[in-house]
Amino acid sequence: MYKLMLATRYFFKRRINLLAMAAIALCVFIVVVVMSVMIGLVSDFKEKNHSYSGDCVIHSDSLVGFAYYEDFVSELEGEKFACGVSPVIDGFGLMRRPGYEDNIGLQIRGVDPVKHSAATGFGDTLYYHKDNPEKAFENIYEPNLPGSVIGVSIIYKSGSFGEYDHFPVPRDLKFEITCFPLNAKGGLARGGADPTSTKVFVNSDDTHSGLVKVDGGMIYLPFDEAQSMFEMGWPIKRINSIHIKFSKGVSADEGMAKVAAMWAKHVERNKDKTYANLFDNVSVEDWFRYRREIIAPMEKEQTMLTILFAMLGIITVFVIFVVFYMIIGHKTRDIGIMRSIGVSSWSVVSIFLLFAGMVGVVGSAIGASAGCSFLVKINDMEDWLFENYEWQLWNREIYAIGEIPHDIEFNVIAVIVACAIGAALLGAFVPAVQAGFKRPVEVLQVNQV
Amino acid sequence: MKHLSFFLCFKYLCRKKIVLLSIASVAMCCGLLIVVSSLFSGFIAAVENSASENMGDVVIDPYGSMRVPDYDELISELEKVDVVEAATAVLSSNGGLLFLGKGNVRAVLLWGIEVGRRDAVSPFSKYLVGSGGVDIGDEVAVGYVGIGVVAKPDAVTDEYDYDEVGEFVGRKVRLTTAVSGSDKPRRITFHIADISQTGVHQFDSNFVYMPIEELSEQLYPGKGKIADMIQIKLVGGADEEAAVDKIRGVWREFGKKKKLDWASPLDVETSRLKQARLIGEYRKQMGMLMLIFGVVSGGVILLIFCIFYLIVMTKIKDIAIIKSCGLGSSGVAVLFVFFGLVVGVAGSGFGILIGWLMTKNINAVEAWVSSALGLNLWKSSTYMFSRIPNVVYWDYVYWIAGAAIVAAALGALVPAIAASRVRPVRILRYE
Repeated sequence: MYKLMLATRYFFKRRINLLAMAAIALCVFIVVVVMSVMIGLVSDFKEKNHSYSGDCVIHSDSLVGFAYYEDFVSELEGEKFACGVSPVIDGFGLMRRPGYEDNIGLQIRGVDPVKHSAATGFGDTLYYHKDNPEKAFENIYEPNLPGSVIGVSIIYKSGSFGEYDHFPVPRDLKFEITCFPLNAKGGLARGGADPTSTKVFVNSDDTHSGLVKVDGGMIYLPFDEAQSMFEMGWPIKRINSIHIKFSKGVSADEGMAKVAAMWAKHVERNKDKTYANLFDNVSVEDWFRYRREIIAPMEKEQTMLTILFAMLGIITVFVIFVVFYMIIGHKTRDIGIMRSIGVSSWSVVSIFLLFAGMVGVVGSAIGASAGCSFLVKINDMEDWLFENYEWQLWNREIYAIGEIPHDIEFNVIAVIVACAIGAALLGAFVPAVQAGFKRPVEVLQVNQV
Repeated sequence: MKHLSFFLCFKYLCRKKIVLLSIASVAMCCGLLIVVSSLFSGFIAAVENSASENMGDVVIDPYGSMRVPDYDELISELEKVDVVEAATAVLSSNGGLLFLGKGNVRAVLLWGIEVGRRDAVSPFSKYLVGSGGVDIGDEVAVGYVGIGVVAKPDAVTDEYDYDEVGEFVGRKVRLTTAVSGSDKPRRITFHIADISQTGVHQFDSNFVYMPIEELSEQLYPGKGKIADMIQIKLVGGADEEAAVDKIRGVWREFGKKKKLDWASPLDVETSRLKQARLIGEYRKQMGMLMLIFGVVSGGVILLIFCIFYLIVMTKIKDIAIIKSCGLGSSGVAVLFVFFGLVVGVAGSGFGILIGWLMTKNINAVEAWVSSALGLNLWKSSTYMFSRIPNVVYWDYVYWIAGAAIVAAALGALVPAIAASRVRPVRILRYE
């Protein structure tokens, strides 16, 4: 009890500890704000990639794809653990608007809109058919031509806050898509002077996934049309990937294990068939591994930022060290008296560590509260700065970011606060130990007093 | 006597080992800020330079899809301008689809270039990997392909396998693209003469180059030599704005002579200006990062304050003795502030050294981290360039060092005032 009483007394009586608290509060404030925004950006990016991919993806590394997928898709659809299964055609093509010269290379993805919406977040990214994705490829201009869903950034320019101003109905646009169809051996499916396949599609909707490469470089076509254009329907039907969503209550590990086992059996069953060699390029991956190449750089930046803050945090440890060194320097007589009446060395150490803990708790509480308040208002502040000074943290016409992430992640804050308290204890440890092991006979001799 | 007091006081300060802590803190913050500012500035400069290096200093880029006829004539007119060192024509196709081999199709961008004249504007030959040696023959069409189009760098080392890359040289590939005035795509077959590696991800992973004469004939048969962009290199030290004015004059005259109604002065722009918006965003991000680290580094002021206050408290008797020997209050205060400045100078000096060493060897550090921890921090696909810029930007260094010295002096100010207010008669009395 006396330890707590003494630590509390030192905490309230020594004004110098306000400096240590200020150092901790400043550091915690900055780290809470920056890490919350950074973590928000990374989580948001991950979530968008998860939504784009589904929970699990069976995919081929080659554009040639793989065959014998229909039985497997039916088998998966019969399983309770999978609530969405979508076979997908992937490839590259050249898009041109008839009558216009500009043509751009983009990624083509052939999907069944209902199946793909069940397996991924595709349906939610649509603008006009969010509630009825089955009509995503129904165009209102030329019913004889197939529809297409194009990345929103290809046909619209984003506004100051990343928003896109849509017309009440899809824009009357036609896209001429050209691609190189490949045969099952990887060669050009069409010989002669024209090895390409070209078809016109009508704009029926646009997709806003929040992923730059998808919104600015992808067009979705009806599955059958894409399979036909890439000549992946003959002599044997092929696809490039199968996207799977697990039912609620099924963990990612459990679902992945089941899919991997089913796929291994499927490959075994078909290993002697023609084109079974195409299975060699196929992998079964969860969404995170599937998009790892895109997600990893952002995670690395987050790690780098954490390391930089940790380095700067050392200064806070130094501040606490010096403050406690000063405080203990002034409390030598108290320490001597305590030691002389029987208080053990480690008890003295614990008094000062308790004191340091209080400084850490109060400093980090102030910093964390200020950080949370700042986060709550961060978008309002940015709006105000934009309205008055046309200043934005990120120009939304360049970066695919909506609002600045401002969610208060209590786990993150708990870790930061714990680190701050740890830093306070670390900084105070050496002075506390020095205090604890002072010899009363030296401290209380008359020339010291 | 005053000089002796000054000497004694300085000696006391120098003997306090805890001062080293403040020097170390200043050095660490200073070094960190120098590394961050140099790397970020280097990155921004690399973006700007890559545009100049690959597109020339000034570009005539007609709006829309307008084509420049008889570009040789325009180039010879441009080369008469005193600020123009060289100019070259480019014919671009916005997009193409390249079939490289079995199961290997890539979306690419296509440029027709003057192979001979291009080197005067952009070091095209220097970028070629030189994995040629395959006799292609003069009769067939040739092209140059970006290294990232034919291969992927190693996931850990970010290095290309040049043996794998070399296998593409001499290979016959097919490309399809579209042109204005025709609904049918154009198909071009050519042999890969060499592989280009500029070190800029955008060019390496997307671009295919062909001789402009060949590409003009393939895309616009019978229309002669046409280009849709003229890239211009200025003589060293030329004022870009004045140069743009002169080039606009030549462009206007050329437009009149050739009856190009669409030719506009706005077609002429510096390549830096073309990137200005993006560069502005990068600068803003850098400013934010420096501000955040700067605020956190402000903790150094607190640290120096605490250390100097500690010195004042522990050396209060010595200060009293020195004052009693004749050193005035202001002298004591000046001494402490001066010592704060010394700490700032020493700390920032070490910081500059640390920052300089780190920045200069950043590629070696990154390579070591990659090999030791298997963690590839820098990837050209993420950060645009294959090498981390390692130039120290001294403009920032001066500012950072100056701020560190001022911060140290500020930290020492309050303890200096406390020291100056020490009254020898109270401190030195016997009881």
